[in-house]
Amino acid sequence: MTKDHMTRMGDGSRVWMSREEIRAEVEAGNYAAVDAAEVPSLTDDDMTRIVDIMCEKGRTVSVEPGEEVILTQDGGEQKLLMDNGSSSPALELNRLEGIQVHERALGMDTFEIAYFDPSTKQIKPVIGLEMAHCQNVMANTVIPMLYMFMPNLGLYYQPTGMYGNPPDLMRDFKIEKAMSEGEKAADEMYKDIVYIGEKILSTGIDGMDFDTTASAGDLDFVASLRAVETLRESYPDADIQMGMSAENVLGIHGMVEYKGTVAAGLYPHQQVKLAEMAGVSAFGPVVNTNTSKSTAYNVARAVCMVKECSKVSNIPLQVNMGMGVGGTPMCETPPIDAITRADKCMIEIAHVDGL
Amino acid sequence: MSFENEQKLLHDALVSCKVPDIVESVNTAKAAGMSANEIIDEFGNSMSEVGILFERGKLFLPHVLSAANGMKKAMEILGPELMASGNEGASKGKVVMGTVEGDVHDIGKSICSTMLQCAGFEVHDLGRDVPKPEFIREVQDGCCYCGMSALMTTTMTVMKDIIEMLKEAGLRERCTVMVGGAPITQAYCEKIGADVYGESASETTRKAKDIADGVVQ
Repeated sequence: MTKDHMTRMGDGSRVWMSREEIRAEVEAGNYAAVDAAEVPSLTDDDMTRIVDIMCEKGRTVSVEPGEEVILTQDGGEQKLLMDNGSSSPALELNRLEGIQVHERALGMDTFEIAYFDPSTKQIKPVIGLEMAHCQNVMANTVIPMLYMFMPNLGLYYQPTGMYGNPPDLMRDFKIEKAMSEGEKAADEMYKDIVYIGEKILSTGIDGMDFDTTASAGDLDFVASLRAVETLRESYPDADIQMGMSAENVLGIHGMVEYKGTVAAGLYPHQQVKLAEMAGVSAFGPVVNTNTSKSTAYNVARAVCMVKECSKVSNIPLQVNMGMGVGGTPMCETPPIDAITRADKCMIEIAHVDGL
Repeated sequence: MSFENEQKLLHDALVSCKVPDIVESVNTAKAAGMSANEIIDEFGNSMSEVGILFERGKLFLPHVLSAANGMKKAMEILGPELMASGNEGASKGKVVMGTVEGDVHDIGKSICSTMLQCAGFEVHDLGRDVPKPEFIREVQDGCCYCGMSALMTTTMTVMKDIIEMLKEAGLRERCTVMVGGAPITQAYCEKIGADVYGESASETTRKAKDIADGVVQ
């Protein structure tokens, strides 16, 4: 077996593998998805196609003309403006110029405006400035504009918030107190999301994106779904998207339900059904990357989970493909060889609508 | 007499992690004639399954804590029968558990304590940041298992100190030393002369049960 295919590990490091080894990694990744999410296995043809894509010789790969999907960017304009040390270009641009570069130079199909600290709690005090920014952006761009924010229930817990911190309370075996504090915090976040949502949508923007939903677990997810439902009543035509933070909804409360379904432990194909019920327009599933495994393993695992999500979904899927999700390596600037292969597999095999 | 239906009821109630269901299943099993020990055995097995589901991400910490709470309520119901049968003290052995000196991470250790308790051990959980002499005192007072947890590479060395102190006190042969925590490995367990390495709460419990039941030495 000649190790003649350069590929990546989940941390972005280069590794050389034979086609047979890549096939074994794809089968293992597929099995891991079936085992964790209890979804159907990829077909033999699907796995062969992933191996073919992983073994393509070019530095990058692409889909055939006509098979392109919608591209958007949920990091906001700040990605061009900031300096992250080893990544991000730190361009001397204002926020509007950053968005225009995405639209006119980078060719984004849609874009998501974002405050530099885009958590619900942080946006609330500056909502008037954000509304003015949205109006200015819409007057100077053509592509559909969404406003991105992160629910981020974690900021409502001590020490940054006023409610007791469930993990701390559970450590002291105060389970009922942990649950009730979480519920109160979630109610507060729900009210804040509705407040900022009503304000932002009143500007006439095309929609909103709930980004990294459920980052603080099941209560975060359920409060976000409730907020979508409320906003949908006021703005029936708004494009309300929901992107997740992880493949599995963490059970920080454990028992909280949305419309009769316990939220804890749900995987993408189950999450999307709740999103549909709440009135979400497009859903962004996440599948986490294992940094100790190869890209072939991670891509197969991600595609297997997202394929089932795509199959059961009645709304478009705009899958999260970036650092550490969707099979792409977990490093600040994911290598283009790995990310284009992961993208192509996701489009051709999982049949997603956008990236 | 077969109690298949009651066993399934007890199992399903515990794995559901709902306290009212657990209490109801105990009352139903008792009414059908199951003994307190039979009910506890069934719950012990079911609790192991809860531990496995927790490790696989199918259940979460609140579920484990609720199941443990349900077990506690069940023990309150079964207590009088156990006392009357003189079987109250029929535990698998006394265990001292603690997160070692200098380390305040104790959630994994607490889960392990709960699972050991559910499996029939008498657990003396000393909490976190436990001074070394307290482990020695508990072994002197009759604990035959010494469970230590450490979550940091800077505190894991305390485990070795405690094992040396047990040797110096002539107590090492009297107890099974169990170690666990994120930086601990089987190799480290062997290196410091501990007896059992548990990668997870359920693995530790299973290994302790095997020793108590004489399955392994």
